[in-house]
Amino acid sequence: MSDIIVQVVTRMMIPYLQLYGLYIILFGHNSPGGGFAGGTVIASSLILYVLAFGIDNEELRLSGSVARIVESCGALAYVGIGLAGILLGANFLSNHSAGFPLGIPGRVFSGGTIVLLTVSIGLKVASTMITLFTNVAEKEGEGE
Amino acid sequence: MDNLFYAMAFVIFLTGFWIMLSHANLIKKIIGMNIMESAVFLFLVAIGYVRDGSAPIVTEASSAITYVNPLPSALILTGIVVSVSVTAFALGLIVRLYQHYGTVDVDEITRMRSEEQ
Amino acid sequence: MITAHIMPLTILLPLVGAYIILLFGSRHKILARNVALATAGVTFAMVCFITYLVSAHGTFVYHLGGWAPPLGIELMADNITAFLLVTFASVAFIVLLFASDVLPGEINPKVITRYYALYLVLLGSLLGIVLSNDFFNIYVFLEISSIAAAALVAVNGDKLAMEASVKYLIMSTLGSGTVLMGIAGLYMVTGYLNLDFIASNLSAAYAGYPLTVLMTLAMLVVGIAVKAALFPLHVWLPDAHGAAPTSSSAILSGLVVKVYIAVLLKLLYRVFPLDFIAALPLQASLLVMATLGIFVGSILAIRQKDIKKMLAYSTVAQIGYVFLGIGLFSEKAMIGAVLHVFNHAVMKSMLFLSAGLLIKYSGRREIADLAGLGRTYPLPMIAFSVGALSMVGIPSFSGFISKWYLGLGALEANQLLFLVVLLVSSLLNAFYYLPIVIAGFFKKGTVEVEKQVIPVGAQISLIFLIAATFFFGLFSNIPVSYIAPTIQGLFGMFGGV
Repeated sequence: MSDIIVQVVTRMMIPYLQLYGLYIILFGHNSPGGGFAGGTVIASSLILYVLAFGIDNEELRLSGSVARIVESCGALAYVGIGLAGILLGANFLSNHSAGFPLGIPGRVFSGGTIVLLTVSIGLKVASTMITLFTNVAEKEGEGE
Repeated sequence: MDNLFYAMAFVIFLTGFWIMLSHANLIKKIIGMNIMESAVFLFLVAIGYVRDGSAPIVTEASSAITYVNPLPSALILTGIVVSVSVTAFALGLIVRLYQHYGTVDVDEITRMRSEEQ
Repeated sequence: MITAHIMPLTILLPLVGAYIILLFGSRHKILARNVALATAGVTFAMVCFITYLVSAHGTFVYHLGGWAPPLGIELMADNITAFLLVTFASVAFIVLLFASDVLPGEINPKVITRYYALYLVLLGSLLGIVLSNDFFNIYVFLEISSIAAAALVAVNGDKLAMEASVKYLIMSTLGSGTVLMGIAGLYMVTGYLNLDFIASNLSAAYAGYPLTVLMTLAMLVVGIAVKAALFPLHVWLPDAHGAAPTSSSAILSGLVVKVYIAVLLKLLYRVFPLDFIAALPLQASLLVMATLGIFVGSILAIRQKDIKKMLAYSTVAQIGYVFLGIGLFSEKAMIGAVLHVFNHAVMKSMLFLSAGLLIKYSGRREIADLAGLGRTYPLPMIAFSVGALSMVGIPSFSGFISKWYLGLGALEANQLLFLVVLLVSSLLNAFYYLPIVIAGFFKKGTVEVEKQVIPVGAQISLIFLIAATFFFGLFSNIPVSYIAPTIQGLFGMFGGV
């Protein structure tokens, strides 16, 4: 499983993959993209790392348990942002009508809560992908 | 010409449907499921497409040009998320089934189960 | 503040509870159990509050994010919705009460926290389906519910359950793919996803694209029928409901199958005008499939040796009753159908739970081995008997009331044939339920069973269900007077049939 070419190429690619994923998440409201697409890219970079450096590696277990916590936190953050709308006197998931500033269209920090929502979706999706992968991988390990 | 997309979507939809029903191999059933859902997505894209339309992103510089309908795209994205999660869950189950029975063929599994009883 | 936002909060609460359980529950098992029970209990209380609000102020809506439809997603509660909500939340809470005491002995302790989380996600999605007034939102919740339900079948990891779960998942996705295509078609011809907007634009769309509208309706009905296990699309149900853990079977048979009927009700009574549907062969085909389902389900149930499989086939027959009530298109039959959703949820969950207890303590699943267990375990056997008698339709049990209204509806629609169907099927029900009851109390047991103590939570939940069966059998005017005005309104609005 440990192939030197795969490992070197993976090591070179991972930073760019993650940066690209972050870009897609943060610019989800200004350009095509968003939490789901970016989260998938980030998760795939981490899965690629695990694949290249060996499934039996201890890091896999760690990332699995961390991913489970991040997953729950991502979902709860989404709900929390939604509830903020209610607390500010508007409806659930309200954005501008609850008083969040919309900013200047085209900037990163514009569109009120949308950025926060895409970030929490990104966290949730990335960690879910990792959890799914680790679950299947662990089960394969059990069978042997 | 525009109706071609709708017709094609239905052909693909029925192909996926047929694969899901007729194949005994569970992995192929899942592939059929994905084909079926892609057909629905194609259908939705075709509904929302406006000829010569651009992506509906409002910026300061944007002038009054025609946009494609953004709603179907949003629906498709949700649909993709749903289909990815169903696929992942189904594949996880199939991996476990394969460990128990050593096959992913439904008929084979049914036969093995009836022999056990 | 709670009053204005009660609808989204009701859907969110179980989902938030599920994630809190996933976050903290793996280390503290007791915490997971308590959080799950508290969440389900508070959800039930909130649903009761919605019911009160609807009866006090009439139908009310909520716009997510403050965006009014057609731009935003709308939640809506009317009398029927509120009645279904109470059905789902109450039965889910009682089954969870049962599960919290019985599960630890039944499934792998490692997955118990995940079980609670899945259970709450399922509850949240069921409430979401009932409350949504937006077709795509309904689809998303449908998919959440089918994944959660399939996971609840497979949770224990034994191979029979996993095979049933894969089968269930595949059939279910087939159904929801078809539903999604139907929704896309509706969006194409009307340009809206909100149910009310679709309804008001449908006649114009039908004038322009008659074939597309018909095909859309067909796809939606078939997709829902697959998921609701209408005969002959029921093939996945007996395996899935038979192989699942006790509490999963109870909630799958009692609630999950019913939620698709809630969608069908929205579709047929709110979106498509009644005179439009009356002109199609839809009514006749629903009635034929329902009748066949009632008979085939009952006959297959008679042939079963495994008690849980028998109960699962009985669900196929009972779904037939609900579809019969919807297909008759008359006021009384509709009341019967909605009542039967509730009554069957109570009866069937009681039957599954008591059967599960009997299986657990006797160690046998065969019907013949349950003889004589009534003496060792009176409470589960009494609960089973009450459920069985109610299924048969003995007066003073709640099952009688829904059959009574279905019969009245058949008379009202001048379809006397279906009165005969109801009578014959009641006889068939008696044929497979009563021998178990009689053998359970009066025959001598084939296996010696040691008496064990039944956990308190399980006892309480069974007593609640028995009480509900009697209460709604004797005081049936309470639910009927709650839903009847809305149903009369539905039929009055379109001039009746």
